[in-house]
Amino acid sequence: MIAVIRAEWLKLRTTSIPWVLASIALVLTGLLMLLYFVNKGAGGPDHQGGFGPPDPNVPHTAQQLRDLLGLGVNIYVFALLLGVLIITVEFRHKTVTTAFLVTPRRPLFVAGKLLIAAISGAALALVVLTGTVIGGGIALAAKGGSFGALAAQIGAVLPGMVLVYALFAVVGVGLGSLLTNQVAAIVVSLGWFLIVENIIGGIWTGTARWLPGGAAQAATNLSAGGSRQIGLFSWWQGSLLILLYGLVFAAIGSLVLTRRDIT
Amino acid sequence: MTGPDARLALRSCMPTAIEIRGLAKQFRSVRAVDDLTFEVAEGRVTGFLGPNGSGKTTTLRMLLGLVSITKGSATFGGKRYVDLDHPLRHVGAALEATSFHPTRRAEDHLKSVALASRIPLERVDETLDLVGLTEVARRRVGKFSMGMRQRLQLATALLGDPEILILDEPANGLDPQGILWLRTFIRHQASLGHAVLVSSHLLSEMEETVDDVVIISQGKLVLQTTLSDMANQAGTGTGLRIRTPEVDRLTAVLDAVPVAWRQTAVDTLVIDRATPEWFGPFAAQHQIVLYELVNERSSLEDVFLNLTQGFDAANPMESGAGQSAPFRTPGEPS
Repeated sequence: MIAVIRAEWLKLRTTSIPWVLASIALVLTGLLMLLYFVNKGAGGPDHQGGFGPPDPNVPHTAQQLRDLLGLGVNIYVFALLLGVLIITVEFRHKTVTTAFLVTPRRPLFVAGKLLIAAISGAALALVVLTGTVIGGGIALAAKGGSFGALAAQIGAVLPGMVLVYALFAVVGVGLGSLLTNQVAAIVVSLGWFLIVENIIGGIWTGTARWLPGGAAQAATNLSAGGSRQIGLFSWWQGSLLILLYGLVFAAIGSLVLTRRDIT
Repeated sequence: MTGPDARLALRSCMPTAIEIRGLAKQFRSVRAVDDLTFEVAEGRVTGFLGPNGSGKTTTLRMLLGLVSITKGSATFGGKRYVDLDHPLRHVGAALEATSFHPTRRAEDHLKSVALASRIPLERVDETLDLVGLTEVARRRVGKFSMGMRQRLQLATALLGDPEILILDEPANGLDPQGILWLRTFIRHQASLGHAVLVSSHLLSEMEETVDDVVIISQGKLVLQTTLSDMANQAGTGTGLRIRTPEVDRLTAVLDAVPVAWRQTAVDTLVIDRATPEWFGPFAAQHQIVLYELVNERSSLEDVFLNLTQGFDAANPMESGAGQSAPFRTPGEPS
């Protein structure tokens, strides 16, 4: 298994995929933080009340600080894209022939991709979180807030982010194994999470918790430390559901791939 | 096991590395490969020949588990490729239309394959050296020329030091020096006792490289034989080309003997299956002036083209001696 991970990581890091995705994700996180501080400047809600710092507009409660740190959770779709790209890149550049010669049992090929996707998805979460801590910390310090208080909340946010990113990278590989055409896979996955799911969830409200996006919302509650949205599963139920989506996609994808002629 | 074909029986003393039995592939409405049977012996180079689109690549891809098999079997020592424990340590394949990730360096490509196949990483430098790519090991493959890609394919195939090599059109994109190098390389592999199956649409490219030939056309086997056998057959398809100012006198005396001839130019005749040893004294006896006396051997390439073009796909084996028909010339002596 170590050998597979080393081989897959070497393959992944010698493409531009992880570097481009991480860069865009960091830029977007920066924008989200900017928006956050602009909104806070207008006076955001104080979740826990209690003793206030000199400037009430600067995030200071545990919940506020966690919200700030957890901003990256909102762009978990990058982890999904990472997973999609990890597997579809082999088809796009026709490197899949070599991959199947090396690993002729195709479910094992998909399994290797799931593994590296989970690991690199978790790594992407760490990168985004690191960016948030540095960027958010500087902004906070500039506004007279406490960097130490922000850093103290890392432990509360980190597990949820890592979990959600890793799971969505797995879902991405599952989707990519079904839809090996890279462009199609990207369009479908983005289209689903940005458009289709919102429509379905809007029409049949009861279904929201069962859909991948709803499950993602539930899973991110691990970071938020409570139920931010009613009608959703608990964080671990949501996580299991996401994993299930990923594995079901990957299982069907493996079957389809096994029958596929690589010409 | 080897079937009724005498040629296979002849070769049965040699250990078999690859066995193709009744192999067939149906792509929707197209029968790409049909009832193909042949084998590849250890320590020999087998040329897998046929025109473009004759089913060579599909056959190789079925053998390697990349394309599903409609009927029949394709095995290495009785095992399918998927069932091999460490496939790359037994079978090295360089296939056409395989690609590399453009931003990946040659070295990293080989390393990733070695890691996944549990091949010691020292092999990466060894194989790069073997194919002459050491100097560009750190270069991104996207900047490689066609010839360099072919070499990198070969390096990938050699990584596991396999005893069986499968090369699909390896000469494509190589310059003349490259082809010479490839020839030496392939002969060297065979001298190590490895079995090499190499496909090509040009026999002339492989003439000096292969020991055995397997010729297919439209997905069907046309001929499996040894190259020397084929060369002999090519040699027997001879004619004697004669240029003479006395065409009329010559044809008159030729009509008296049982040979077939045809006039190919105003002053030129071709006598089928005649030898200079027979014709020289014959001409002297009749005092015919000759300007030119040439033994016309059909080249291997001619034979190959005849076999693959004149091959009746709808009626492959039923034509009796269909395989040797192209060698026979009408009206041979006695």
